[in-house]
Amino acid sequence: MAEVTFRQALHDTLREELLRDENVFLMGEEIGVFEGSYKITAGLLKEFGSKRIVDTPISENGFVGLAAGAAMLGLRPVVEIMTINFIILAMDEIVNHAAKIYYMFGGQTPVPMVIRTPGGGGQQLSATHSQNLEVWFAHVPGLKVMAPATPHDAKGMLRTAIRDNNPVLFLENLALYNTKGEVADGDYTIPFGKAKVMKEGNDLTIVSYSRMATVALDVARRIERESGLSIEVVDLRSLRPLDKETIVNSVKKTNRAIVFEEDWRTYGIGAEIAALIQEDAFDYLDAPIKRVASVEVPLPYAKPLEIAALTSTKQLIDVINEIAPRRRRR
Amino acid sequence: MPEVSMPRLSDTMQEGTITRWLKKTGDQVKKGDIIAEVETDKANMEIEAYNAGILEQILVHEGEVAAIGQAIAIIGTGQSVQKSAQPATKSAPAAQLATANSAARATTSQPAVQVPAPISDNGTRIKVSPLARRIAEEHGIDLRLVQGSGPSGRIIRDDLEDYLEKRHAAPAVAQPVAAPLPVTPVAPAAPAPVEAVPADVDVVALTTMQKTVARRLTESKQTVPHFYISNEVDMTDLLTLRPTLNAASEGDVKISVNDLVIKACALALEKFPEVNSSYKDGQFLRHKHINIGCAVDIPNGLVVPVIRDVNLKGVRTIARETKALAEKAKAGRLTVADLSGGTFSISNLGMMDVSSFVAVINPPEAAILAVAAIRKTFVPVDGQPVIRDIMPLTLSADHRILYGAMVARFLQEVKRLLQNPYALLG
Repeated sequence: MAEVTFRQALHDTLREELLRDENVFLMGEEIGVFEGSYKITAGLLKEFGSKRIVDTPISENGFVGLAAGAAMLGLRPVVEIMTINFIILAMDEIVNHAAKIYYMFGGQTPVPMVIRTPGGGGQQLSATHSQNLEVWFAHVPGLKVMAPATPHDAKGMLRTAIRDNNPVLFLENLALYNTKGEVADGDYTIPFGKAKVMKEGNDLTIVSYSRMATVALDVARRIERESGLSIEVVDLRSLRPLDKETIVNSVKKTNRAIVFEEDWRTYGIGAEIAALIQEDAFDYLDAPIKRVASVEVPLPYAKPLEIAALTSTKQLIDVINEIAPRRRRR
Repeated sequence: MPEVSMPRLSDTMQEGTITRWLKKTGDQVKKGDIIAEVETDKANMEIEAYNAGILEQILVHEGEVAAIGQAIAIIGTGQSVQKSAQPATKSAPAAQLATANSAARATTSQPAVQVPAPISDNGTRIKVSPLARRIAEEHGIDLRLVQGSGPSGRIIRDDLEDYLEKRHAAPAVAQPVAAPLPVTPVAPAAPAPVEAVPADVDVVALTTMQKTVARRLTESKQTVPHFYISNEVDMTDLLTLRPTLNAASEGDVKISVNDLVIKACALALEKFPEVNSSYKDGQFLRHKHINIGCAVDIPNGLVVPVIRDVNLKGVRTIARETKALAEKAKAGRLTVADLSGGTFSISNLGMMDVSSFVAVINPPEAAILAVAAIRKTFVPVDGQPVIRDIMPLTLSADHRILYGAMVARFLQEVKRLLQNPYALLG
């Protein structure tokens, strides 16, 4: 076990995969000479050369299409989109090509590609550079979508993504890059569709993912210390496929659920989770399922307004207080 | 067909008792008409109609209790007035839950008051969470007997667990009901759940206000870690000053010792703002206004009307306001505004010759001052016994945010001000 940053965990995994399989190569804007806008790929150009670490022009539609083609012919591209906000230019290649080729060609042509990209607000990058667009991809059959919350999970999940034979969206969060955590040794992997119970509890379940899962965990621990309310925190980790079983089992135990997400509320991940819970655990519910999400505005630049628009601990605590049971379970 | 439901009339209100219907079934109602009076946890309020029409049905009768959001009457076109004599029991899907109000009303021996059963226009229905419904089925619980505490009176798991505990406890222990005052029955608000009561005990139902006092003070003692600090104040100079002040007032309200204690506390709170605060969710809320509540003794209970911004008011204004509030309290005319917003409380039992006592904190406030009777006491002055007027004070404080030394300094300041009464006139 070693404590590393999220950034370091991603860097190490990319490097290990480049060493493990010569078909793996990286592509993206500024990832080589500049070593990545967020320095995930630092040092890799020097080590692996420009055939394996490819700097691209500012042309998301072009190089994502290029990656899909390379993957069809047997290479294993790992594409970095500088932030998720720029992925919109490549939607056609992702949704209409990468996601559908394996299906439309009757399973003859796998598309083993990964798109890594960070999202999230709170950095004063304003409306067009602070979005959480995960739900766009989680909606599409043919894509897998991962959104880890800890360095340990990032490592195990990125390995799984790179070794999978069809397209994976690997969603990072800007505010997580400097967070630290214990990472297990060895070549472990974390499968798709496996949520993690970050903290067990009996009174209430918070379902979350990515950065908000870490915020939820902090809040849950603090509230438990202060009031004895026992909160279970489920980190989805994988948005598609979704680990229905873990979510439903948790709610069957606690009877109350909050979905905590940084994206916008309407049609968000929370809407899907809430629908799933009422379908599969209706008779176990003791309170309405609550969604805690961000205000539905383009994210403002001004710091006070940005803070007001993004959901955070305060909004979560208010809703916990609103639906917490009076009596404590053992 | 519009329902009239029990409105939320104060922040802490959970239910209200209908004290009087001002309209009868069949009466024409205009929008804005006062149709009923309701007693909440804090005050007596009026309910006005939001729709015009004929008052077709009264669902919650005088003396009965309704949770917030529960339908209390139906205002419609008047067509179903006759039918209302025999309440409709149309079959709703969940048959066992269906006939809450009408069935409960049929058992006339027990007034049907605790049933949170909002009536929709095609039958009656109890609000219950899916989980609670399942638990009730498993344990064979009649949901009509369970009081819901969720939003709009929804029955949730907590309520069923409370009920099951009571059901298990009831036959085993025939405990004497803790009825502190042997008073004749006040309101027919006996709860529906059946519990064995020994024949030699009179059961007195609590009024809404008494229930609130019971609930809030239990909450306070169970959740607020109280600690207590006492000292004694030499009131001799203040008692000398008071007649002079009142002689000059010429017929205006007399300033009482309590008014001067209020003023002293306000000035001390200004100096020690920590004491003028609340603990909430791991945070320390410092109040910018100094609003002091004074416990007022009223028949069968207790109210704590609040004087606002006391630090900014002169003692004569304080005297006028306390007198007005006490009169309103005795007449049962206090409004929610009179009773909310307190940041500190004073309970004065001096006139009852109490030698000392401790008070229970009135949440969310952080402290309450218990004022005992002034007594002639020998105290040593220059080695000689001298008779002085001594008043014991005990402050109860919330140890989550207040600490001994700080509170002691606050109390010292109260003492200093009372012993230098001219300081109170500034």
